Amino acid sequence: MWRLTVSNALAHRSRLALTWLAVALGVAFVAGSLVLTDTSSQLLDNQFRTAAAGVDLTVRTAAAFNSAMGVEVQRAPLPADVVGRVADTPGVDRARPIASGAGQLQVRGRAVLPAGPTILGTWADAPFTAYRLRAGHAPHGPDQVVLDAATAREHAVRLGDTVTVSATTSKQLRVVGLTGVGDRDGLPNSNLVLVDLACAQTLLGLGPGVTSIDVIADPDVAVADLRTRLATSLGSGYAVTTGQDTAAASAAAAKQSISYLRIVLLALSAAGLLVGAFLIANTFAIVLTQRSRELALLRAAGATGRQVFTSVLGEALLVGVTGAAGGTAAGIGAAYGLRGLARGAGLALPDGPLTVNPRTLLVAVAAGTLVTLLAAFGPARRAARIAPVEAMRLSDPAPATARRGRLITGWVLLGLGVIQLAAAAAFRDIAGVAIGAVLFLAALVVLGPVLAPRLAQAVGRPLARLGVPGRLARESTVRNPRRTAATAMALALGLALISFVSVLDSSVKAAVGTSYREAITADLIIESARNEMLGGLSPEVAHRAASLPEVAVASPIRYGHWLDRGMTSALTAVDPATLPHVARVRMTAGSLAALDGGGVVLAANVATERHLHLGDSLPMTLPRDGQQQLRIVGLMDDASARALSTSYVISLATYAAHYNENVDASVMVALAHGVKPQQARTALGKAIADFPNAQIRNQAEAAAGRAAAIDQVFGLITVLLCFAVLIALLGITNTLALSIVERTREIGLLRAVGMTRRQLRSMIRAEAVLVAAVAVVVGVVVGLGLAAATLGGLSSDMPLVVRVPVARLLAVVAAAVLAGLAAGLLPARRAARLDVLTAIATH
Amino acid sequence: MTTLEHALLSPAPEATPQIAARAIDVMKTYGSGDAAVRALDGASVTIPAGQFTAVMGPSGSGKSTLVHALAGLDTIDSGRVFVGDADLTALSERDRTLLRRERLGFVFQAFNLIPSLTAAENIALPLTLAGRRPDPAWLAELVDMLGLQNRLGHRPSELSGGQQQRVAVGRALIARPDLVFADEPTGNLDSRHGAALLSFLRDATRTLGQTIVMVTHDPVAASYADRVVFLADGRIVDELPAPTPEAVLTRMARLDVPAQMVGA
Ligand SMILES: Nc1ncnc2c1ncn2[C@@H]1O[C@H](COP(=O)(O)OP(=O)(O)O)[C@@H](O)[C@H]1O
Ligand SMILES: [Mg+2]
Repeated sequence: MWRLTVSNALAHRSRLALTWLAVALGVAFVAGSLVLTDTSSQLLDNQFRTAAAGVDLTVRTAAAFNSAMGVEVQRAPLPADVVGRVADTPGVDRARPIASGAGQLQVRGRAVLPAGPTILGTWADAPFTAYRLRAGHAPHGPDQVVLDAATAREHAVRLGDTVTVSATTSKQLRVVGLTGVGDRDGLPNSNLVLVDLACAQTLLGLGPGVTSIDVIADPDVAVADLRTRLATSLGSGYAVTTGQDTAAASAAAAKQSISYLRIVLLALSAAGLLVGAFLIANTFAIVLTQRSRELALLRAAGATGRQVFTSVLGEALLVGVTGAAGGTAAGIGAAYGLRGLARGAGLALPDGPLTVNPRTLLVAVAAGTLVTLLAAFGPARRAARIAPVEAMRLSDPAPATARRGRLITGWVLLGLGVIQLAAAAAFRDIAGVAIGAVLFLAALVVLGPVLAPRLAQAVGRPLARLGVPGRLARESTVRNPRRTAATAMALALGLALISFVSVLDSSVKAAVGTSYREAITADLIIESARNEMLGGLSPEVAHRAASLPEVAVASPIRYGHWLDRGMTSALTAVDPATLPHVARVRMTAGSLAALDGGGVVLAANVATERHLHLGDSLPMTLPRDGQQQLRIVGLMDDASARALSTSYVISLATYAAHYNENVDASVMVALAHGVKPQQARTALGKAIADFPNAQIRNQAEAAAGRAAAIDQVFGLITVLLCFAVLIALLGITNTLALSIVERTREIGLLRAVGMTRRQLRSMIRAEAVLVAAVAVVVGVVVGLGLAAATLGGLSSDMPLVVRVPVARLLAVVAAAVLAGLAAGLLPARRAARLDVLTAIATH
Repeated sequence: MTTLEHALLSPAPEATPQIAARAIDVMKTYGSGDAAVRALDGASVTIPAGQFTAVMGPSGSGKSTLVHALAGLDTIDSGRVFVGDADLTALSERDRTLLRRERLGFVFQAFNLIPSLTAAENIALPLTLAGRRPDPAWLAELVDMLGLQNRLGHRPSELSGGQQQRVAVGRALIARPDLVFADEPTGNLDSRHGAALLSFLRDATRTLGQTIVMVTHDPVAASYADRVVFLADGRIVDELPAPTPEAVLTRMARLDVPAQMVGA
């Protein structure tokens, strides 16, 4: 039987080719996602391990948590005397104080903006670091700097050139050396700017303090013992970690965004595989129907139903395994493409050779094989039930019509799904929306064979006006409910996801933009061009802005992470005195000014949800001092909270007391009376010229910047969803190509009585377009419905109004219909090439 | 305007000899090398207009191939084929399709109808493909003669074999073609339904002057024709005017082929 299976699969290889391709594409996506995320993690691990290679222990000030949302918590500087205490501890061979932080680099007056950070650090020789001088010498004194060789090469910096380096303050420095990191020329996506300790302290505004102390233990002392000894002697205000732990913690922070990316990528590849499963199931169903007489003959000759079943599944196994293997190989290449796409969406992924884990190969091949087997299961079971007498039947079996059971199940599921969706949306329950969505989609799959032909009938009405080819196209689409349904549903699923994402995108964008424009009244806004999560403006920027005569008020805004009952959350810090001049914060209780006393202002909806009232105290775990009780001094409306980006607002003074971060996210500027914005912009630009990442925007530009950031994320998802749509389009091509084999005689007859090749081609293309159109209708309606429910469910966090991006959806519709037309080209050509006579002669 | 459209729009003058179609020295070989089969080997035949011509011959003698060549359904290796004045060998594939649609009608042995179209739609098919509508009077007359009045809205699957073949005949005649080809139209019918169909074809020639070419292996069916041509080994070997079943049988026997081998 196995021999028969293999020869069958080979004999039908042209019919199975597109199925194979669908499996391969789906698996390529899975493999590519895994390879990309593995590679990125591996590269980050290596990078941090290399950086901490020679260090045994690191001493820093203690913090309540290491990192949040992929950002490492900044710790308080170590007092100068700690360096001596550490160095004098028995068992310490050498101790090296370090001042490091985020900086900016300008070459010939132009900002150098890598995808990742610009690391401003303290030079040290081996064994403390992996820095290896490639040219020149180490930096000494207040005006010397060493850059990494890669950055220098990229920006044509030579020894002796002068560059501008800024952090808290700004300096002109002479490049005296170029360095590599280990055997590489630099760190991926980053710039290294290395100066001596005193220079770093000045640039970072640390005074005599240092950010950390690297320790190398005496060779005869166990590192673990030394760690304990140091920890006890320094006391609880300090954290002593091993080099590996420090590297691992830093890597973990950096890898957090990669784990989000992995979830998104794997979810999208699952969508691709699901769409592929429709295609596989459909192909097997069609091929087996076409072979039903042959199968019946086999049964008549003594094959058992089980043998037929295993032989069909064997064929699926063959397709699945080979397709998955091909897909895995292609996926390794696809990882490069995905990396490019993710970078285009603003994710800083490190560059480097790909990591292919055995786990990736296993998961990808298993996923492809399993999906193929599962998809072929139904058709295989139906094939096993073919009775031997069917071999004797003259006519082809009529397409199966829906059974009552299926109808009832379908409608019940649909009803439950709709009720669940509506209820969950009304009660703002996002988990409930997810359950409703699953019920709803399941209902569509079950009802597909009932709905698809009716829809085809209705949507295809204009086709009837195109004469016989159009009418026949519609008829043949309606005639095979199950086939049309499976083909259209696969595409509909992809299109539903795309319209869902589009609606979400424009609604979230609109909500953010509207509340920003309503609440922010500043004439100009200074923001960091790098979009760091917590901001990246030196406090000097706000300072200089405030001292300009054109400026009435310059109010800085900062963000910070905190732990809310163990969960990472974010807060906004403002200056209660100046904020009212640049923003319209509507308080529903208490006052903003009361923040001066050290309390917190909450978004009203959060207070309601958590049953908190004015005067209550809120436990917040803050990075420097751990859990604190902050008194609730005011409640603001939700739109104000959205404009300020978080639901928790504290004063800048409170922030300074509990956070070590010293960067502003933005500076809101109100102009002095009678000053023209353009004039102020020029003056501001001049005043902050040595802070290259500071960008001056007006309100509209700032709102647009936020919208663009949202667009980037949704754009990436949409591009990746197009992949699922591509597989679905292959499904249309495949189904049509197979149905043409089936309709050879009908096509021959039409040609004999005078249908021209052109008419025949347009008939087949019309079928493809009709299936695509049915999918468009279902997809857009489902996408809109799910988006509306999801937005309803999400609005406990932010009240969202459904915004339908009409132009964009119309573009999706047009693209899908055109793609449907394209999907029909190949089958149409094949049909037109059929010889009239072979068509008639087939008896 | 293509030459064909020109020919279609300007009817041939009455004075031209009443010849509906002609095959001259047609050669047709299928396959190549050892597997080559010479289906037509210098076949020449003239189909007079307004007559019912039957084509007979042993199985594999090239009957279907000859009819396909005459109808422009297949290309030939050499020789020439005319339908009216149109030289099929000189026409493009598209022009041959248009010629079939405008000037020829077909009835095949089986699978004559498009399953998704009703009887009425199947009848009108050649016209609707050309973007035209049937002449209502002619349609009514045809339907009446074929006895399909109550069946027009039915799909082929709801019709008996005989009704299906009558619908096929209706489709062949609806465009008032110069020529109707029928390849064993009664092959799948019982004798009663077969006889009805054959009478109808004969009446179409008698009362409407319809030219018909019918392939058959049944001497009784052939006897409905005005003339029978006999084919053997890809060549016309004999011809019989005003045939009776007995005369046809005698001629067939003379073709040196055992009677039981005569067939499709
Ligand atoms: N498409 C084809 N390919 C190869 N051989 C063919 C083809 N069609 C017909 N033949 C051969 O050509 C010969 C004539 O066939 P045909 O015209 O169908 O005969 P008839 O209709 O008289 O039975 C036969 O030997 C047949 O096998
Ligand atoms: Mg024949």
